[in-house]
Amino acid sequence: MDETATKIIEILRKNMKDPSKPVMLETPLSDLEIESLDLAVIVFDIEDTFGIEIPYNANEEVEAFATVGSVVDRVKNIISDSDKGAAA
Amino acid sequence: MTHTNGRRRVVVTGHGVVTPLGTGVEKFWAALKKGECGIRQAQSFPTEDLYITIAGEVPDFDPRERLKSKSLMLADKFSQYAGCAAQEAVAMSKLETPLKDPESYRAACIIGSGVGGLTTLEFSYKMLFKENKRATHPLTLLKAIGSSASAHVSIEYAIKGPTFGVVSACSTATHAIGLTYRMIREGLVDLGLAGAAEASLNWGATRAWQAMRVLSPDGLWPFSKNRNGTVLAEGAGILMLEELEHAKARGAPIFAELLGYGMTADAADMVNPSIDGASTAMQMALDDAGLAAMDIDYVNAHGTATAVNDINETRAIKRVFGNAANKVSISSTKSMHGHCLGAGGGIEAVAAVKAIGDGFIPPTVGLTEPDPECDLDYTPNVGKNRAVTYAMSNSFAFGGLNAVLVFGPAPA
Repeated sequence: MDETATKIIEILRKNMKDPSKPVMLETPLSDLEIESLDLAVIVFDIEDTFGIEIPYNANEEVEAFATVGSVVDRVKNIISDSDKGAAA
Repeated sequence: MTHTNGRRRVVVTGHGVVTPLGTGVEKFWAALKKGECGIRQAQSFPTEDLYITIAGEVPDFDPRERLKSKSLMLADKFSQYAGCAAQEAVAMSKLETPLKDPESYRAACIIGSGVGGLTTLEFSYKMLFKENKRATHPLTLLKAIGSSASAHVSIEYAIKGPTFGVVSACSTATHAIGLTYRMIREGLVDLGLAGAAEASLNWGATRAWQAMRVLSPDGLWPFSKNRNGTVLAEGAGILMLEELEHAKARGAPIFAELLGYGMTADAADMVNPSIDGASTAMQMALDDAGLAAMDIDYVNAHGTATAVNDINETRAIKRVFGNAANKVSISSTKSMHGHCLGAGGGIEAVAAVKAIGDGFIPPTVGLTEPDPECDLDYTPNVGKNRAVTYAMSNSFAFGGLNAVLVFGPAPA
């Protein structure tokens, strides 16, 4: 697992009721008992950690954050987009 | 005294609003009937670095034109909105003010706010922390406290009985109205101004709401498949409530009767509402009014256009109304005036009272594609004539705090 994924899992663990549960990339967030408000807190923490802005609306984008891996992918995409923006 | 089931009856003898659709009940109601929308690009705070840039702001509100007292001119905007709505309600009720002793002690002033003078606090903290000012403006505290709206209004009309604010987020006004209704019914007072005011649209609050990820960047479309969140708004909604015989004795105009009030807490989750909490509050209000669900012609829904509220509210209505759910007219007027937070229930109570008086159901605008899970008659896009004998107004707040009012016609 790379650094981005490790950091994100660390953030997820902070917001889990039972942090000793195994967290894999394919683990659904629902298995981690992470609900909509937790997700808003997690997104805030990720934004702060990586210095990015994640467009996310709890009313419509539940699918994009279905698993741990989908969160990691989304963050990586945003980081690479913002790097491109910085280079241009 | 005339008693119904041996109890004092409570009527609405005046009402007032300040809303994104305009100030004053006639202007507000005309806009609701036409299906106008008061949600626009925010003007009162910078939005460049926000991704939520729309809001329901009150247009054309000059306190110097709208208000008489100097102390209200210097108050926070939420108190000014309350003062303006109260002024309309008092004028309409033809009550002679300032009240005189000892009657003044028989009047209540219960005007709440979700967050009080938040914009005053934001400004003051900016001055302290960013501009390194030595001190805040001397009126900062008086402007910020959540009870200042009720205090200002009580001073204005010499109301000396129970006077304070209540706080229950987006159910605030509904709880204030329900509480005042119970005070009158139980003989504590004979009349009362009741409702709430909110003016918390500012940069910091929008940032805070934005972080919760529940706001829509482009519009408030309740019960629609395309709904993507709520839109913050501001304003005030205040009713003059009065004991029936008291109102009759002084020849007051009577617009409706407040028949029932129900309140519950989900005691479950800060943001995910429960069907139990909402449906039990509705049933309590019906029981209090001595009505069956099938008697209700119109439900002014909480209808926030968040993914969870609209489905939960639909299911709660179905549970309480059973088969009658298919014939009751429902609408969320928030689609037009936005989510006025603490003031919402007051503004929506006025809409329910007007629906009874005018025989008209205001629409839910922006409802072009219904959510399959929201399959009741939400009066999509265009309002309609319908005789409304009894109307219900729902408020379901964050924290699972539920309050429901039931209004009926003015007693013959």
